[in-house]
Amino acid sequence: MSQPELSEEDLLQRAGRGDARAFDQLYDRMAPRLFGLLRQMLHDEREAEDALQDGFVLLWERASTFDSDRSKAFTWAVMLFRHKAIDRMRMLGRRNRLVDSAVLEQTILEAPSHVNVDDEVQANERGLVVHEALNELPKEQRQLIEFAFLKGLTHHVIAESLGIPLGTVKTNIRRGLLRLRDLLKGGA
Amino acid sequence: MDEERFEELAAMNALGMLENDEKRALDGAIARDKEVRALTLELEQVTAELGYLIQPVEPPANMKKRIRAKMRAKGVKGAGISRGVVIGGTGWALAAGFAVASVWLWQERAGMTQQLAAASRAMAPVNTTTPVVDDGKTRTLEEELKKRRDEFEAQKRALATEIESLRKQEADAKEQTAKLTAEVAALKQQEQQSQLQIATLQSKVWEYRKSEMLVVWDQKRSQGVVVLDKMPKVQSDQDYQLWVVDPSKPDPVSAGVVTVDAKGSVKASFKTVEAVTGEAKFALSIEKKGGVPKSEGQLLMVGP
Repeated sequence: MSQPELSEEDLLQRAGRGDARAFDQLYDRMAPRLFGLLRQMLHDEREAEDALQDGFVLLWERASTFDSDRSKAFTWAVMLFRHKAIDRMRMLGRRNRLVDSAVLEQTILEAPSHVNVDDEVQANERGLVVHEALNELPKEQRQLIEFAFLKGLTHHVIAESLGIPLGTVKTNIRRGLLRLRDLLKGGA
Repeated sequence: MDEERFEELAAMNALGMLENDEKRALDGAIARDKEVRALTLELEQVTAELGYLIQPVEPPANMKKRIRAKMRAKGVKGAGISRGVVIGGTGWALAAGFAVASVWLWQERAGMTQQLAAASRAMAPVNTTTPVVDDGKTRTLEEELKKRRDEFEAQKRALATEIESLRKQEADAKEQTAKLTAEVAALKQQEQQSQLQIATLQSKVWEYRKSEMLVVWDQKRSQGVVVLDKMPKVQSDQDYQLWVVDPSKPDPVSAGVVTVDAKGSVKASFKTVEAVTGEAKFALSIEKKGGVPKSEGQLLMVGP
């Protein structure tokens, strides 16, 4: 008789209480997507590996502060790992410049496709919702949000890299995120 | 701060786009205004949801080990990742839990032992009981001691050479200092002894109205330097002759003939044929070729 699968929130809370096995399972579930995020942000396999390593050490240390009423375990982890990646970019002096202009064309967030893996089902369902919401946004807002999310650059650098006025960048980001919030809440 | 402005800052903050001063402005607003705080948290959550769209990439297989090693290195409390053994049933779970814990503890112990051994090697100059591993080679204690003794001896020899070199430099510097001190003292004495007199002379003779003559005279040594310029050419059987007028002597004392170049210029040192004791004056005359002991020709310049 198999035990019911624990949610990521349960695992993170258990990890916060010092449960190494829960932490282990959490790693198995979250690490591939977090590693994918770090690779996109850092453009360097080695740097991404180091950030993943440091990020999970930090996750273990901070797991006890996780509050499941405020956020999902995965989004909590994404915030933590993005901050880690941005710190690393700052340290490497990459925050104020685009490392490779070719990546402008590659910055696309896609709908999840691996719906057949049990552990991924819930995440993929949410992924589909997020993808649909993102597609509701005007193209210029969607592209800016995707680019900013994946590159971790300052608004000045984004404006310069994409050749868009700074004011337009700020306005589109603001309008786009507020609209995305409303859509994810189920609003029209 | 107006609503649109803090919405903008909260949105950019959620995406990590803010620069330092803007981040500080938003943090200040968050501290003061709970609506800003709520919006900021909300947009951070919305942004983080984009993480669901990231394409998964399998991390390296040894990543768990690396994380555990990093935790150990940082001294993180309760650090350790299990080996992922899944066992169902309470009894089996207890037994398996004990087994897993034993394995885990054994691995932890092994890891700690290795770390302690490495730390001991690093702390102790020479480990007297354990074979030493360096660059993948294992050496016996005797070999290690010999290696370290050789290194020490080499360092000692290098230091001795350096000390010797420094001593030599110090001796050279002392010698040089003594030499310079002596030179300075001699120059000071010379300065005290010398009584230099500088005189410029001009002629009242029409042809020599543009000519110039400068004499630097050291009475103590009865010698000096004369500089002549714009002097007319003398006939081929004549020479300019310089005289030093000693008030204590009835006649000027010869300082020798002076030959100017084609431009009528010359700079030459001179010495009187006899000592001059009183305050000197200087004179230039045209004399027979080769000069004369007592002035016979016309005095062109006298001074000062």
